[in-house]
Amino acid sequence: MFVSDLLESKKDCCLVESDSATVERHSLSGWELFLMPLRLTWTAIALAAAVLVTSGCIDDSRTASQRSTGGKKDGAAATSEKLARFPMASDGPKSLDPVRGSTVYENRCASPVLETLLQYKYLIRPFKLEPLLLEDMPTVSNDGVTYTFHLKKGVYFHDDPCFPDGKGREMVAADVLYSWKRMADESKSKVAWLFEDTILGFNQYRDSQRHAETFDLDADMQGLKIVNDHEFTVTLAQPTSRFLWTLAMFQTSVIPREAVDGYGSRFGLHPVGTGPFTLKEQDWRKGQSITFRRNPNYHECFYPEEHMPEDIPEGFQKAAGQQLPFLDAVEITFEPKSEPMWLNFKNGKYDFTTVPADNFDEAFNRRTKKLRPEMKAERIRGYPVPLLDFMFKGFNMEDPVLGGYTEKKKKLRQALCLAMDWDEVNDVFYNGINIVYDGPIPPGLKGHPESGQVDVSYRGLNLEQAKKLLAEAGYPNGEGLPFLEYYTGRVANSQEQTEMLQQHLSRINVQLHVHLLDFSTLIQAVDNKKAQFFSFAWGSDYPDAENNLALFYGPNEAPKPNHFNYKNSEYDKLYQQIFSMQPSDERTAVMETMRDIVLEDCPYGGSMARTRFYLVRPRLKNFKPIETFENWFKYIDIDPAAE
Amino acid sequence: MTDETHSRSLQKFLRHRPALLSLSIILLYGATAAVLIFSSVMTMEHTLEPVAAFNLPGFSRQCMPEKRLRDVERSFRRIEVALRRRNPIEQLKSVTAGSLVLASHDPAYLQSRLDQVDGIIDRLYGYEDLDQIVQDSAQDASAILDQLNELESVATELFTLAEGRTEAGRRFRLLLGTDKQGRSILLRAIWSVRVAILVGFVTGMVSVVFGTALGLVAGYFGGWIDHAVNWLYSTFASIPNIVLLIVLSFAFDGGEFDDLLNRWTGNFARKIIGVPVQETLIPVFIAFCATYWIGPCRVIRGEALKLRELEYVQAAQVLGYGRIRILLRHMLPNVAHLMLINFSLLFIGAIKSEVILSYLGLGVKKGPSWGIMIKQSGQEVINGFYWQIGAATVFMLVLVLAFNILSDAVQDILDPRHVG
Amino acid sequence: MWTYFLRRLLYNVPVFIGILLLVMVALRVRDPVYAYLGKNASADTIEAKREEFGLTRPFILATPMESQFGSFVVQVFTLDFSDDSWDHPGETVGDILGRCIGPSLALSIPALVLTTVISVIISVVAASFRGRLIDQSLVIAAVIGMSVSFLVYIIFGQYWGAYLLPEITGYKPFAINGYTHPSETTWWEYITYHWPHHCLLPVLISVIVAMGYDTRFYRAVMVEESGRDYITTARAKGASQIQVMFGHMLKNAMIPIITRVVITIPFLIMGSFLLETYFTIPGMGRQLILAVEHADFPVVQAFTAVLAAIYILANLLTDVLYALVDPRVRLS
Repeated sequence: MFVSDLLESKKDCCLVESDSATVERHSLSGWELFLMPLRLTWTAIALAAAVLVTSGCIDDSRTASQRSTGGKKDGAAATSEKLARFPMASDGPKSLDPVRGSTVYENRCASPVLETLLQYKYLIRPFKLEPLLLEDMPTVSNDGVTYTFHLKKGVYFHDDPCFPDGKGREMVAADVLYSWKRMADESKSKVAWLFEDTILGFNQYRDSQRHAETFDLDADMQGLKIVNDHEFTVTLAQPTSRFLWTLAMFQTSVIPREAVDGYGSRFGLHPVGTGPFTLKEQDWRKGQSITFRRNPNYHECFYPEEHMPEDIPEGFQKAAGQQLPFLDAVEITFEPKSEPMWLNFKNGKYDFTTVPADNFDEAFNRRTKKLRPEMKAERIRGYPVPLLDFMFKGFNMEDPVLGGYTEKKKKLRQALCLAMDWDEVNDVFYNGINIVYDGPIPPGLKGHPESGQVDVSYRGLNLEQAKKLLAEAGYPNGEGLPFLEYYTGRVANSQEQTEMLQQHLSRINVQLHVHLLDFSTLIQAVDNKKAQFFSFAWGSDYPDAENNLALFYGPNEAPKPNHFNYKNSEYDKLYQQIFSMQPSDERTAVMETMRDIVLEDCPYGGSMARTRFYLVRPRLKNFKPIETFENWFKYIDIDPAAE
Repeated sequence: MTDETHSRSLQKFLRHRPALLSLSIILLYGATAAVLIFSSVMTMEHTLEPVAAFNLPGFSRQCMPEKRLRDVERSFRRIEVALRRRNPIEQLKSVTAGSLVLASHDPAYLQSRLDQVDGIIDRLYGYEDLDQIVQDSAQDASAILDQLNELESVATELFTLAEGRTEAGRRFRLLLGTDKQGRSILLRAIWSVRVAILVGFVTGMVSVVFGTALGLVAGYFGGWIDHAVNWLYSTFASIPNIVLLIVLSFAFDGGEFDDLLNRWTGNFARKIIGVPVQETLIPVFIAFCATYWIGPCRVIRGEALKLRELEYVQAAQVLGYGRIRILLRHMLPNVAHLMLINFSLLFIGAIKSEVILSYLGLGVKKGPSWGIMIKQSGQEVINGFYWQIGAATVFMLVLVLAFNILSDAVQDILDPRHVG
Repeated sequence: MWTYFLRRLLYNVPVFIGILLLVMVALRVRDPVYAYLGKNASADTIEAKREEFGLTRPFILATPMESQFGSFVVQVFTLDFSDDSWDHPGETVGDILGRCIGPSLALSIPALVLTTVISVIISVVAASFRGRLIDQSLVIAAVIGMSVSFLVYIIFGQYWGAYLLPEITGYKPFAINGYTHPSETTWWEYITYHWPHHCLLPVLISVIVAMGYDTRFYRAVMVEESGRDYITTARAKGASQIQVMFGHMLKNAMIPIITRVVITIPFLIMGSFLLETYFTIPGMGRQLILAVEHADFPVVQAFTAVLAAIYILANLLTDVLYALVDPRVRLS
């Protein structure tokens, strides 16, 4: 509407020739004129004011159940229903079909409904796995390639119209195999990489069906064998350390074929599984909110007994041994912008929130990082959650200017790294709460260096050294070095961070051409090996450093995750070693060697791990904030009296 | 219009005081932009340098105690970090606090000063919330403020102006405060004038010239030319403005267009412009002109239809004057006032649209502009910091207001029936 | 009369097709597939995805059903909205369109009504007091209001509505994001609570922004009218100022007013996308912008087709109104 003025200059067509009759000005009592025509306006304003006053008196936090029943109260059910209200910092998941899932948002919305064979122990750190849909942890053969799984009995799928009579049937081994075979159908699945080169016969299975009319999900895969309804074996191509971790990732969730056959492409909107909560299609209001309701047929699952010492003051161990889930419903509201999410939390709309970097001051004392008195007065608790995060600025090793393994090329990259001041970025954009460290292995994992520092590292800020190395690389004072093409995504404050980077690099006389792109174009540029110098982040899929070290494995070059196209045969051999080893001190030592190799070659500048701060209201119980896994809804309880 | 009407209009204009004021403001902005474009008194780099601590208020206002402590602590911490690294003297040379550098690079001396202030800082850390305490208790307040003053005076001793900088220059830059990265808001606002004038001027000129040309031709010749222009015009007009702007801006993102252009022109484009196309303002120009040429075209075409029937035009036709001559000598002068008015309207429209586009990340890519300043200040407002958004808004308001008043005055003067 | 209407309608068909062409070409400058691939896509997967999206078909030079352009034009003219959205798997374009129109209308219609009513009233007042202080101050306020960026209004509006107002009054009448569909609650609740809670603030901002332009326009029209002979006659005959203003002036100025209102209808649906984005109201404008960002071609193409159709129809309506009023136009 703001430019409508320009386009609608049709007024000249309306102006008919007017006579030269002049307008006589009549003096009138101003009041008369004010009141009369504005009477309409005053009435409107008065009405509006009345509405606002009454609406302000109405309680803001209406529950989803009241809303969906048209505001009519359902008697006792509505008022005593345990409903948790959570925000989600995005527009919402796109699809809850596990094989299409990729983002953390899809993970969080699928995890209440779908379950995996294994899950993370809720309270134990460092992370450990435990059986969820299994009787016990799988046993592995002596050669380390054959795993035997015993499925838990008495696990039923949700009651859903896709089943005959609408009653969910018991989960059997065939369901697990079905779900995993679906991951090989690349026309629908984005997650074939999880089992690629891992399960014996997976590659052949996928390749043979690539151009098939319909994907045959009943065909046999060599490595998957059913023994009986509750037992099956999986044979791997080689011992694989990450195999069990992948079985806790929601992409490997168990789903019934009746739902996929019944709902077809709409399965992503209508997931059916064995989880503690169910999702009705009308409970997912696209772009707005999604509501999960308790599954009355949930299999026996209990709050864990094991806990850490630090959980005791928080009271996380109190619910040990009680049956799950506790909540009747969970309502997640989508908040793609952080300011409204924050304001809504303060207004009492949500039971917890993550603190946006710009509002850190309002919740915490920036200096002491302690919770502010106003927050403490409301008995809100604050938790810092360090993420398994690897933020970096990568170099394309196949680029003629920046890439290469000669001494000169290495010095060029090292010079650039030394000019980047990650501490300042942390200070300015993240209130200093992020962790700046050396190497690609984030804090919390084996292989992460002591106090984050490694001697070999070329992390800035050291301008003298940077200038020296730049000169040795053949570009004294930056002369002769062309403008670098820098690619970054258009998110939040990326433009400002880019300006800071330009500022840093201009101190050693290096200039950038900035390509500020939307995410898909950025991915495209990186996958096509077109991006010379790019800004990216990698969140670990599971808590094992192998996931991060895979980023530098030669065969993983673009379009796979080795965005740097880094190829080092010594490194590759070491990677293959740790790929098959079980965790041990020896393995950690190898990982540290790999880390040091990468630090010397400098295929990237970094690193930083984000820390997310959570604020939790007193009525939310048993919530230990974590982002490594997302299936914690079932442990949460509400204590309305605590408010 | 005859010469007499010209001089009468001119006289009326000179007597119209608001119009004169507006014109002088616009000329002032224009002169600033010209200086920025053609000389290097101030370059974009100047606007991107940190000057001082973050989010300092303008006019040398004092900050709250917590912020003062944080800012002064940050400078000390930088020294500390440098002292702990492997080669302190080298590192110390890189330590800056805005546009200030260390006066001495002697590690021993600096360490002793730091030890001195450590005690004070520890004491201040003993308090939970300095801002609250300073408000509540006058006694504690004076103690805290004294200690802060001492810290700040130590910091002033340790840091000094970098080479080639003056105290006056620094104060000038801090006149309107600093943004989130410590850059001068005043400089950014001034640089944005350059961007705004460029965008407005080029958009206005190209759209008006192009729209007028098409409008005159369509109105005068009629027939299939009119139909063709009408089709073109209706097509562009029927796509919502925003959609067209965004789709066009997206088409330029990502470098395909740049590659395409360079392939066609044999890298000529890259040599002339020097940077990839999407980093310049060219995508903005193209997107705006494609959306805004419609306005003038429509108006001029309507006018041309009317003028065509005028006697002296018909006389010229009968006399056998060439068609181009008629267009240029008879019709063009009569639509000149409409061109002028549309130019000023488009100028304003372009400036305001740039703000919207920059918010979406599609407008100006490099360097500050009012849109970028407003976008980056969105969060600051919630924390109570109004300087950046205030500066951008006021600078823009004055220019747009001046244009509005000027175009109103011109319309009033040239078109006696106009109601302003 | 009808021939005129039909002529104009047919005239707009090539325009419409031109729009579709423009949008489709502009979109295909970039390759959208990468947004929809997984982590480890191989060249085969990329190609397969392109096929799935129908991007490997020839653009124009083929039979209508085979070419991308041709098949889309056919779809539009047969009102076929069954294309699957790429960005929202499982939903068709029609589904998305359906759920987005409601919120956009909930924002736009009240904004239009309020702006028109308020601007007309203010302009009538200004016109009757032309030249006096109140007129001058109203004009100055309008011009200043026009000179401030929309964004600034939104930022301050949100800050005031969600922050200052609750702090000062203790009430939280405005939500700064979200939206409740009328289907989820009773009509009465919707009108008295949900709508004002979610939509009143954005509507007020929209009104304030548009008021500057509209007030000046209507004022100009009113002043024109007030200079006419019949007004002088009416006054001479002793009609009161109010009767003159509302009984005569307003009625005759209704035509340009209505014309302007009709012209604004396309912007109705577009729903001031900025407001929808900042206030997270799931309307058409916001959905369209998201679709462009995520390179969701079916949605962008369909939405643009719908919006363009609305715009063309609105223009058509305007032309018809002119023709009704001014016979010269009809005969030209």
